[in-house]
Amino acid sequence: MILIALLVPLAGAVLCWALGPWLRAAAGWLATAAVAASFGLILATGSGSQALFSWMPGFDFGLTLDRLSLLWALVITGVGFLIHLYSIGYMHGDRAFARFFAYMNFFIFAMLLLVLSDNWIGLLVGWGLVGLASYFLIGFWFERPSAVAAARKAFVINVVGDVGMMFAIFLIVANVHSIRFADTFSAVATLGAPVVFAICFGLFVGAAAKSAQVPLHAWLPDAMEGPTPVSALIHAATMVTAGVYLVARCAPLWDQSASAQMLVGTVGAVTAIGGAILGASQWDIKRILAYSTMSQIGYMIMGVGVGAYAGGIAHFFTHAFFKAQLFLASGIIIHALNNEQDVRLMGGLTKRMPLAFWGILTGVLAISGIPGFSGFFSKDQVIAGALAHGHPWMYAVGIATAGITAYYMFRLLFVTFLGEYRGNVDPAALGIARSTGSAQARELAAPHKPHHQAPSWIMGLPVAVLIVPTVFSGWLLFGSSVAPSLWTRFFAVQFAPSGTAPASVPEWVTTLVTFAVVLAGIGVATWRYATRSARANAVARLRNETLRMPKVLANAYYVDALIDVVFVRGAQILGAIFSRVVDPYVIDGAVRESAASAQALGTAMRALQSGFVRAYAFVLVLGVGCFLAYYYFVGAR
Amino acid sequence: MTAALLPVPLCDYVALSAVMFFIGVAGVIVRRNPLVMLMSIELMFNAANLAFVAYARAWLNNAGHIFAFLVITVAAAEAAIALAIVVVTFRASERVDVDEVRALHG
Repeated sequence: MILIALLVPLAGAVLCWALGPWLRAAAGWLATAAVAASFGLILATGSGSQALFSWMPGFDFGLTLDRLSLLWALVITGVGFLIHLYSIGYMHGDRAFARFFAYMNFFIFAMLLLVLSDNWIGLLVGWGLVGLASYFLIGFWFERPSAVAAARKAFVINVVGDVGMMFAIFLIVANVHSIRFADTFSAVATLGAPVVFAICFGLFVGAAAKSAQVPLHAWLPDAMEGPTPVSALIHAATMVTAGVYLVARCAPLWDQSASAQMLVGTVGAVTAIGGAILGASQWDIKRILAYSTMSQIGYMIMGVGVGAYAGGIAHFFTHAFFKAQLFLASGIIIHALNNEQDVRLMGGLTKRMPLAFWGILTGVLAISGIPGFSGFFSKDQVIAGALAHGHPWMYAVGIATAGITAYYMFRLLFVTFLGEYRGNVDPAALGIARSTGSAQARELAAPHKPHHQAPSWIMGLPVAVLIVPTVFSGWLLFGSSVAPSLWTRFFAVQFAPSGTAPASVPEWVTTLVTFAVVLAGIGVATWRYATRSARANAVARLRNETLRMPKVLANAYYVDALIDVVFVRGAQILGAIFSRVVDPYVIDGAVRESAASAQALGTAMRALQSGFVRAYAFVLVLGVGCFLAYYYFVGAR
Repeated sequence: MTAALLPVPLCDYVALSAVMFFIGVAGVIVRRNPLVMLMSIELMFNAANLAFVAYARAWLNNAGHIFAFLVITVAAAEAAIALAIVVVTFRASERVDVDEVRALHG
């Protein structure tokens, strides 16, 4: 059953791929049905494991569906189903409609392989294949050079992570002699602390690259070049949370190494606040959401890193809904505004797109952590978990980030929906410097021409459906120490209870403080964008903000520049050294030198060939003389 | 054992043969006229023939005679080809000097 659930999306991908020209619009429905079938099969199976085959002793491949992979598989196929449905509308009329769905189904297969594998190699294969699917889908509109560059960047950075993971798996196999998770975790106590830390470090390099954690985050904002449903599914809800899954899956390893926990928690906290600050400085609606994704995954990584596993994956669970919701709703806007993604050129869309407004509103309330909405419960668990596991500064960073998150999400909401529609305003008046001036030129540059023939319900339905979990999924986490929540009881069997210090701050204080900071963030956003005077002077104010944006934020902390200087230039310099020194003098040198020495030998030998017959005859006689002398003096033996 | 059958001692034949051979060798090495060199080569052949025949007669073994005939035929063939080459080179260079014929030197 598990295997079938895994293979159905693959079959869908192959069919869409092979029969694309014949299937046309049906490809979308086929792919969506495949994901739905997979969802149903997983839900029906519920739990269990399945051995597939044994390659050699210690290398047994199989699938497992425990509570952790069940949660992930259900989110992947469930949210994936809604996003597939939405894509039928969003991608309607695209030249490569079937190819898009082939890639999407292939992604679902790869992601299921990642979470259902019960061994390291299956995990690594899934890990690589989701990176490949991500590469295909970021570069889906390959006529656009920026999309190709973004795809390549994502792939290269992800491969850095894959290499880290591979070395961790080498270490595991060398020490445990088995690739199964279960064997590894049961043997973990016998490994030395340095080995466990090295394994955790290698695994976390992979997790950080896949989950866009500092310093391997630079690919995620660029990945927004892909179609919006891709951003929603891969770069918000599922693939980028693979790092969270990995750390949660390897909980027994992390529990053994306090320094590895410290590393992961620190990276998560830095990413959470760094991403949130960048989110507050962006104007492209998808980039705001991308940095917000990075920041929220920072929360999750921090949660699972410090040992609050149930809290970290709870945030994954709620985030998958509200972030998919935000992306899909913003996709409706982008679709309707003919690929306009700059929030400065939006405004006043509440009446025009009520569904998008409600979608984004619930998403914003959820991600900001307004009590009652899903994000409130899960974020609280992570923040409280950081303190309970003895990391007060991560706790502080978590609370601060919650405030910044509320600020930039309400900024997005206000700038997009309040005031007057600014799509007709000259971009220069808003301080937007565009290389391609006219809207016409921009439209020519964008290969995706939205067509409005698709029934609007196809795009509307997933957004409407997602409102429900966006608001209510957090209630699963509602509970107390006396009556543990459904969530806590569900994952109690998955994670060994780790020693948590009795909270020095009661949880209700944490909740109140966080909520106060969130309210402050909302207040600042309201003061800057939603008051009557702010709405009246929106154009001038946005222009001012654009021009006064600190360079360090506009350039995303110069991380791209740093990568450029250190790695790209470094590689170029290395290449120059090889092309100017090693290649001509060492490699070509060896070839040329052997040719030259053969030639020199020939020149030397040539002198003997004088052409004088008598000289040859003399040498002959001399040779005979030598023979005779030899036999005369030494004698034949 | 049978050397007594010969009116002249075998030693003399062999000495003569050796002398003839070395005269031939010296002629090939020191003379530049190809015709004289060919004659010197013939002299060496004949020196070898004389040795073959002398030993054959002395030891009453006919293999030496047969070899002598073979050498004569080879010498005839060699003379025919070598004279042809000499004629051709003479036509090409108008000189009869082997040191001038060194187009294939290194």
